[in-house]
Amino acid sequence: MEYPVWDIPLIGGGMLIGIIAILHVFVSHFAIGAGLFLVLTEQKARRENDEALLAYLKRHSTFFILVVLVLGAVSGVGIWWTIGLVHPTATSALIHIFVWAWAIEWVFFVIELLAAFLYYYGWNRLDARTHITIGWIYFAGAWLSLFMINGILTFMLTTGRWPETRSIVDAFFNPTMLPSLVIRTAVTIALAGLYALITASAEPDESLRERVVKYASKWVLVGISIIPFGGIWYISRLPAQAREISMGGAPVVTLFAAASIVFSAFVFLATLVGPFLFPRRFHVTFAFVIVALGLITTGVTEWVREAVRKPYILYSYMYSNAVRTDEVQKVWERGVLGTAKWALLSEEDKRDPLKMGEKVFRFHCQSCHTVNGVNGIKFAVKGWKKEFLDVQIQNLDQLKGYMPPFLGTDEERRALVEWLYSLNNPPQQAALR
Amino acid sequence: MPVVVPPADPAGLPAPAWLLQILLVFTFILHILAMNLLVGGSVMMAVSLWLGKNSDFYAELAKRLSKALPVTMSFTITLGVAPLLFVQVLYGQAFYTASVLMAWPWLSVIALVLLAYYGLYLVQFRPDWLGKWVIPIAWLSAIFILLVGLLFTHNATLNLAPAKWAEMYAQSASGLHLNWSDPTLIPRYLHFMVAAFAVAGLGVILLAMLYRKTDPQWAEEATRYGARWFVVATILQFAVGLWFLVKLPQGIMMNFLGISTLDTVLLWAGVVLAVIALLLVQRSALLATGAVTLTIVLMAIVRHRIRQMFLGEHVNVNALPVNPQWGMFIIFVLLLLIGLGVVGWMVWQFAKAGKAEQSATT
Repeated sequence: MEYPVWDIPLIGGGMLIGIIAILHVFVSHFAIGAGLFLVLTEQKARRENDEALLAYLKRHSTFFILVVLVLGAVSGVGIWWTIGLVHPTATSALIHIFVWAWAIEWVFFVIELLAAFLYYYGWNRLDARTHITIGWIYFAGAWLSLFMINGILTFMLTTGRWPETRSIVDAFFNPTMLPSLVIRTAVTIALAGLYALITASAEPDESLRERVVKYASKWVLVGISIIPFGGIWYISRLPAQAREISMGGAPVVTLFAAASIVFSAFVFLATLVGPFLFPRRFHVTFAFVIVALGLITTGVTEWVREAVRKPYILYSYMYSNAVRTDEVQKVWERGVLGTAKWALLSEEDKRDPLKMGEKVFRFHCQSCHTVNGVNGIKFAVKGWKKEFLDVQIQNLDQLKGYMPPFLGTDEERRALVEWLYSLNNPPQQAALR
Repeated sequence: MPVVVPPADPAGLPAPAWLLQILLVFTFILHILAMNLLVGGSVMMAVSLWLGKNSDFYAELAKRLSKALPVTMSFTITLGVAPLLFVQVLYGQAFYTASVLMAWPWLSVIALVLLAYYGLYLVQFRPDWLGKWVIPIAWLSAIFILLVGLLFTHNATLNLAPAKWAEMYAQSASGLHLNWSDPTLIPRYLHFMVAAFAVAGLGVILLAMLYRKTDPQWAEEATRYGARWFVVATILQFAVGLWFLVKLPQGIMMNFLGISTLDTVLLWAGVVLAVIALLLVQRSALLATGAVTLTIVLMAIVRHRIRQMFLGEHVNVNALPVNPQWGMFIIFVLLLLIGLGVVGWMVWQFAKAGKAEQSATT
């Protein structure tokens, strides 16, 4: 409530972040796995004196830099842009707690990028040994940058002992940091195989195509096989409430969690039955089908990971609506509009409960809800009477465990009720009745 | 309308303010150097593609620039990440607020960068496939890059205007504002862009050095061409810089005209170094480049001083509580040194292999 809230109609902030983040996850994990894929396959090709495979790798690496260096890097910056716009208070907290972790990640990022360029432009220029070494440096830089980001990202859901100790070590090496690292590393391997299926299936030479398709499909199968082990470990380290939300506490989230498992299985089965068993008949269209399934899996999984963090944005430290847990009392005393200086209500506005209610909504609720789009409040309260609305709001955190408590004053609550009621019962119409 | 400034982050600064400011300004300089080559280079490439229809020299220049620009783009972005981090640590109160006010245009930076980047790669990898479209695509990339610069200037100037924020937000919360009403906007933007053309001119001279042995005739012409860009842009810059200076609020401008000795020396030493570079460029491009780099360093410090003057007590980083994380800082510095070693080793290997390749072919 300390920053102005950007009013994004229909899709809302969460969805905006989601669109860019899922794209980035899908590309950046590939970026890491592909590094391992390229360098290991190059070693294999050189060992076996396989010129055809080496030529394929050169072509694959063009695709690699076009996807990784451009889309991967730019969408990564894009996430940063978006979270700063949608959740400035939480972004500021993450920046301040982890500034040197970010700075370290930047060092790895610089190494990663330079190594990628030199690997790509060095195919004919460097001797085999140096080329392979630079390939390994690329993979090390890329994986270490995942290592850093993963620590920060998992902190958001499992702050662990940090709220008491305020120690960066506790924050970074939080309870889900390692299991998440295992899952994400496995995903990088699977995605490396998935993207290689695309480039492999476009190879004109039939015998090479068959060999590489089969080889790439093994990467997918191995990667996906590791995920369940990391997954079980990860779930065992979640806060109890987050587990409850994913297992029935909030039906939609449970549905998505199930979808994540089902779609992972689809990717596995499609890869098994398609490129692994019948590499000769594999077609580029089928490659895109598997990639689409992979993208859906990534999307629903990341969505669940975000959803189970409710009602927090930084677990037990800051609620989704940017109220820190240690300032609940203070906000409760001053009210929402007494705290949110950006509400900028004139004396006249303050006498109009509808205007007041709208502002309370914007600064207290809009970080998760839109009016009539994604998670639209208009539909959520359809048919609710004023008394019912009032009871719901008073006991928000009790009735809906994934929502933060309502911290407005009595006057603000009544204004919010009026405004919410007016969404489905416009005042003029109500007067006519 | 009241002046509303969000409170500072309660976590405090993770290092003393002076250290973070040095890191901010230093990494900003690295970003600006790469950005200058990108902005100037992409326009130069678009021009050369067009002139290259009837001239081998321009055709060759366009080709050589097209190979360098995607890498330059990548480094502009990567080196921009670091100052973006430090600016959020120090000036988040201003940065997030200004960005929210112009959220959609600010977000469009990402799309523009992405499109410009792919455009540059298309021109490098697929000029034949593009055919006659290669020139429009190159121009489109250049224009998008110039637009990104303009949006950054909007953001940077809006960062410095706390008094405007509340009124803008009261008008609309949709994130569609821009900062056109700021009298420094246009001169400030031109100040950065004209500098980019000058630095890219020097960049062409340095590029020509790489071809001195293999293509001496082209290298000589490219040296003259680069020098021309540098000289014309730098002379133009004296006018643009003066325009920017007089458009600053008087209280701030006077600091650079004698009221504050430090600020006056910083600014005018930068100007003198630019004049020296002008005189040197025909004789030694390397010395001129050194002088210009120093100018950029001084100007980046001046820019930082101007930010402090604008923000005044609204956001005073020297008054923020400090909660240092020295352990993490030391790990960062160690990894940075190791990283620089690795980067140096890789570049050395690459350069060495290039020399071997050259002597093998000749």
